[in-house]
Amino acid sequence: MQPVTLLVNGSAREVVVEPLQTLLAVLRDHLGLTGTKEGCGTGYCGACTVLIDGQPVNACLFPAVDADRRDVTTIEGLADDAGMLHPVQSAFIERFGLQCGYCTPGMILSAASLLAENPQPSDEQARSALAGNICRCTGYQTIIAAVHEAARLLREQGRAGEAPGKRAPIRGRA
Amino acid sequence: MSALRVVGKQRPRLDAAAKVLGQTHYTADVALDGALEGVVKRSPHAFARVVRVDVTRAASLPGVRAIAHAGNTPAQPLDFGIKDQHLFPRPYARYAGEPVAAVAADTVAQARAAADAIEVEYEILEPVLDARRALEASAPLVHPDWKQYTKLPTRVLRGNVCGHNRIRRGDVETAFARPDVVVHASEFCFSPGLPGYIEPRAAAARREPDGGLTVWCGSQSPYENRDELATFFGLERERVRFINQFVGGAFGGKIIMAAEWYAAALALQCDRPVRMAWTRHEDGLHAFPRHGGYASFKSAATADGTLVAMRAEFVYDTGAYIGYGTGTSQISTMLASAPYRIPNLDLEATLVYTNKHVAGPVRAPGGPQANYAKELHLDELAAILGVDALEFRLHNAWEDGDQSPSGQTLSGVRVKEALRAAADAIGWGTPARPGEGRGIGCTWWFSACGESKARLEVRADGSILLASGNPEVGTGASSTALPMMAAEVLGVDPARITVVLSDTATDTYDAGVGGSASTFSAGTAVAAAAKDVHAKLLTLAEDALEARADDIELRDGRALVRGSPDHAVALAELARKAGGAVSGEGEAAEIDDPEFDESLTETHGFASWLAPSYTASAAHVDVDPDTGAVTVRKIATAQDVGYAVNPTGAIGQIEGGAVMGVGWALTEALQFDERGHVRPDLKDYLMPTAVDAPEIATILIESSPGAGPYGLKGVGEPPITTPPAAIAGAIRAAVGAAPHETPMTPERVWRAARDR
Repeated sequence: MQPVTLLVNGSAREVVVEPLQTLLAVLRDHLGLTGTKEGCGTGYCGACTVLIDGQPVNACLFPAVDADRRDVTTIEGLADDAGMLHPVQSAFIERFGLQCGYCTPGMILSAASLLAENPQPSDEQARSALAGNICRCTGYQTIIAAVHEAARLLREQGRAGEAPGKRAPIRGRA
Repeated sequence: MSALRVVGKQRPRLDAAAKVLGQTHYTADVALDGALEGVVKRSPHAFARVVRVDVTRAASLPGVRAIAHAGNTPAQPLDFGIKDQHLFPRPYARYAGEPVAAVAADTVAQARAAADAIEVEYEILEPVLDARRALEASAPLVHPDWKQYTKLPTRVLRGNVCGHNRIRRGDVETAFARPDVVVHASEFCFSPGLPGYIEPRAAAARREPDGGLTVWCGSQSPYENRDELATFFGLERERVRFINQFVGGAFGGKIIMAAEWYAAALALQCDRPVRMAWTRHEDGLHAFPRHGGYASFKSAATADGTLVAMRAEFVYDTGAYIGYGTGTSQISTMLASAPYRIPNLDLEATLVYTNKHVAGPVRAPGGPQANYAKELHLDELAAILGVDALEFRLHNAWEDGDQSPSGQTLSGVRVKEALRAAADAIGWGTPARPGEGRGIGCTWWFSACGESKARLEVRADGSILLASGNPEVGTGASSTALPMMAAEVLGVDPARITVVLSDTATDTYDAGVGGSASTFSAGTAVAAAAKDVHAKLLTLAEDALEARADDIELRDGRALVRGSPDHAVALAELARKAGGAVSGEGEAAEIDDPEFDESLTETHGFASWLAPSYTASAAHVDVDPDTGAVTVRKIATAQDVGYAVNPTGAIGQIEGGAVMGVGWALTEALQFDERGHVRPDLKDYLMPTAVDAPEIATILIESSPGAGPYGLKGVGEPPITTPPAAIAGAIRAAVGAAPHETPMTPERVWRAARDR
């Protein structure tokens, strides 16, 4: 067992984990953050996508110990402290980018990460960035429309290229 | 009817905010204090007789609280029309993955260790792993004791044959022998497919002090499941409560109970709740796949392209048990010749047992299979005759007054309108570059109305509660279309209505999500409940406003006198006057299917269709001639929806169906090895991602009202039934031939082009 400090959605959270325990299990079972979903457990579906230092990872494959003292952004940390939705979240609502909602948290985080790096992606770039997130309900067209709408909203709000989620004051490995 | 304010308008889903925030609870998210973890032990053999199950050592391991197996659970068979299945083997385990026991322990690791420690002695038997093999006289019997089974009199059971139906009219043999016809024959093979929901199955159960049981689940039919489970375990139905959560996709794969059975069996032996969350792999070992199988088609047409005869024969692999497999074979014969006017028909489908997973009613059972085979076969016939694929279809398509294969007289037929709209949307007739192709396919489909109840309550605190037994599986029917329909009648913003998700404690029975029925049946119940509340509110408003009911309308959350909008009273105030709430109830009764000619059918059971709809899809593809790789550029689907109460939902079904159809056509195949072991993981079962998905055009046809509220028809299933056919036709147009086997992989496409 090993103590780990996760900087989850801007707050330092101390947990004691088993050596190969996944970040997904720690988020869901230790920290009660059930917004992150398990879809396949093998890194194919992307439902468990979270951001580590802004980069999307499959939490089902990511050892929790490797997230020590790094920023972890989950779907619960995307809206601001006042509860105002992130533009990617509002765009998914307005452009009908979800149905059952099970892939949605991972899809939204992948989209948010894309837009931080590429504020105005083409259709092809958006589809490519989301290729690790499987949606069985929508057929993806509304999801891609939501990504473009989110890009527009971010630009309109002067937030193009902004890193999604909250950062903890302490960072970097001890 | 006055102008509609809410229904028929595109609006965001009412459950969307919670979903984008990660706040929506699915079954695995339900927190239960002190819950034990349950796991299932499964047979590794495709066919075996279980000689002995010894749990002695397993039961002594740390943390183990209960073990359920054939020795301590009820002996009666499950009943799906043929009583061919037990909860645990008695004594046969008939597919690799069939549960032989279940364990509850303090942790998952302890439960798994105990499951491994259960000693099971198997006598291994020769399995049947192919549908045609199952029909051979020398094939082993999947159910050696089938003659002892109890079944409904309408069911067919003969050895490995567990279903058969036929529709015949005219005389096909005489027609095939006519000197003035061209005859063409084709053989097809279909791969089984997964429903592919992203949320694996999960359940939790807790024994209650009163002897009852509470089950948390993500089912398509919690009321049916509750009744079945209560009956099986000998519990009073009223004391068994199923609380359905949001469902992370279902597609027909969550109609039959799965994890619920084992969580319940364990919880009944424990004084703590038991939760069970299956991994993707475990879910795949217990999947209810779309039927694989075979089809043979033979058709005749005259030189001008007029169809005169068709013979079609399907053999479907339904796996180890009957489950809900029958629909696939019944629907296939209804689709095989439709929607075309063909005077001589002989359409037959046989369902067989094999030692594989129990095939189920995956979204539009039989639809993708039958339409793919039929449309590609007819494309080939049209090509032999030198007739354009679209013109051939328009020439033979049904019109008002035509009859279905089984003699149902049709009206409001919209096949030609759908064909033309879909074809136009992909530029039909545009000259194609080498390797570029356009194809088209069409179908008809049924609407269905099951029993459903709803309760609606306007409260003095301003809240409005809507209880429906219809689960929210992702379509938006329950979360959004139902409150839209209530809001329309009550004159309120639908966002003000709180939907109580399907929970049997509300006693609002619903037959469940299936047959594209949700908005039809639950919507009928909700509309009736809203009408009831509306009438009560008007009566109260007559007193409050000192006006006649005829002069009062409900609008913007108030009752007001027409023409004097300031002369109004809030609905909440009327609820206060009524003692705190105004509530109403409504229900939908099952609607009988229309008349047909029984003399044309044999052991069918689903030979006429309520409020049929008509759908066409057109596909535009590129095929790489060197590799056979297919890129689907665009799918256009034109669907006769009757009326789109919730257009966002209807379009969402059509777009999602198009891409699910792309998957079934090109990449999805549930593979079994030579031992009958399934490969259900997503590294082997390839569902389309965003880069595989084409542009999708949707055309809603709303000119032919159906029998549902506002004239709606069932929407969810048709849109997956036509894209594979259209893609096959497009491949054929691009390279001169299309594979007669799904999925149409690059290798199969390349070989078809080479061998054409």
